[in-house]
Amino acid sequence: MADLENKSRRDFLSFAGKAGLTTLVAQAVGINLGVVDIVRAQTGKRGVEPFRFAIISDAHLYSIDNHKFDEQLIAAVSQVNAMNPKPDFVLFGGDVAQNGTEDQLVKGKKILSALEMPMKVIPGEHDWYLDMGEAWRGLFGDETWSFDHKGVHFIGLNSILVRDFWTGAGLSPKERMTVMEMLESPIPGPWGVHEKQLEWLANDVKNLAPDTPIVVFTHSPLWDYYPRWNFQTSDAPEIREILAKFENVMSYHGHVHQTLYNRIGNMSSVAAMSTSWPWPYPPVALAYPETQMNRADPSIATDGQGTQVIDLSGDFEGLVQYKPFEDSLTPFMQDGFKV
Amino acid sequence: MIAASKKTRQLVSIMAAGSAVAVASAALARAPFTEQELEQQMDSLYAAAQQGYDIWHGSLPSTTTNGLACANCHPDTAASNPQTFPKYMTMYGKVVPWQEMVNWCIENPQLGTRLDPNSDEMTAMKAYAMYLHRGKPIEPGLASRQTTPVVVEFGTGFKREPTGLGVDTREYQP
Repeated sequence: MADLENKSRRDFLSFAGKAGLTTLVAQAVGINLGVVDIVRAQTGKRGVEPFRFAIISDAHLYSIDNHKFDEQLIAAVSQVNAMNPKPDFVLFGGDVAQNGTEDQLVKGKKILSALEMPMKVIPGEHDWYLDMGEAWRGLFGDETWSFDHKGVHFIGLNSILVRDFWTGAGLSPKERMTVMEMLESPIPGPWGVHEKQLEWLANDVKNLAPDTPIVVFTHSPLWDYYPRWNFQTSDAPEIREILAKFENVMSYHGHVHQTLYNRIGNMSSVAAMSTSWPWPYPPVALAYPETQMNRADPSIATDGQGTQVIDLSGDFEGLVQYKPFEDSLTPFMQDGFKV
Repeated sequence: MIAASKKTRQLVSIMAAGSAVAVASAALARAPFTEQELEQQMDSLYAAAQQGYDIWHGSLPSTTTNGLACANCHPDTAASNPQTFPKYMTMYGKVVPWQEMVNWCIENPQLGTRLDPNSDEMTAMKAYAMYLHRGKPIEPGLASRQTTPVVVEFGTGFKREPTGLGVDTREYQP
């Protein structure tokens, strides 16, 4: 673990000399730096063979050729490929497309195919509501999945399901998609995973021992952050209840386009930065405000965006490191934090 | 004594001026706006906010060539910080009004054509953004952090006919 941390530290210094300087200044004024425990996670007794995985999320590709968001996703792929040590696999957190069209999804799959490691994907609302996931499923497979890797049970869920607001109103698929594209849309109401996936989840974990390390991956956060922007999953309480028997559950999610941490009961929750644009922090207080990134500079097109990598230890402790394209992290976040 | 009489003279003259004002205001006062007039004025503001909301969400094709609109990065006008302008913007090297920041975003992230800062369209965008920042402290120059708009619970954040399709059908409460 020490080796890993040292390597990460070197990686970090090499990609952001400026950030290193900030660190020195911060140390000089006595701010506590280094790898910071936000909350000491309860460790599973079951041995995990240490490994790392990366997360790329929210590419929001448009149909226009050579759009800047194409380049930004390509940069994220290059960044992950260059990580040392290499992640065992990559999770993509949804919203590969902006308007859910097949050409956008195909473009995303093509760019992501340059990853030198396997990838698992879950959908975002921007991928889904033009054809209700038909093209997405054809390209990326099932949206609900689980697999085991080196002693950790990974679960992916589709958290962007809404009640049917379009059939009764006679909306076209494109109109339905337009409604769903707005973050602050006044129409669809809260997202969730809905009954079928809850049943699937209960069945999936039924025979797992309580000390099994669990990672659950969704587009939206599994807690009520800011429901207005669907920074929530309406049936997250049911998900947490199903997973309540486990000693330690890590939740990772996309959608919020910002650095963010929270913890409820046995579940830690970590957000992914996007590769497209950063979203502001909404007008609510955070339980862990120190995990906010700096205000993004609008004059730097890639500020407040990037990728993230998580190192899991033998005790199922996670070292979360954001890897921003620009120097957007506060001193607290620069060396990563443990979950 | 001289000082005292001077004070008395001042007091008398202030009182005289005061009564003159009282007389003038009695003669010139107009009735305050009626409730109906106030409602019409606010409805005009909401109509402007509505136009601004639509532009914010991409209704004006001239403002973008890459598909991006204000709302991509600024849902509910968040982080548009209208109450912190005028302020120094590094990309201009000088103090600029909020309208200029909007035009900067139109021309750069959105690769569109700038609006006339005095146009009805720009005023409409400002009406929308300012209405969603009502009650927030005016902090000209503040550039160190992102500020937040008011909490919007449902709908568009201002009085508007509901679509009938969803959560915005709840009754509007200012």
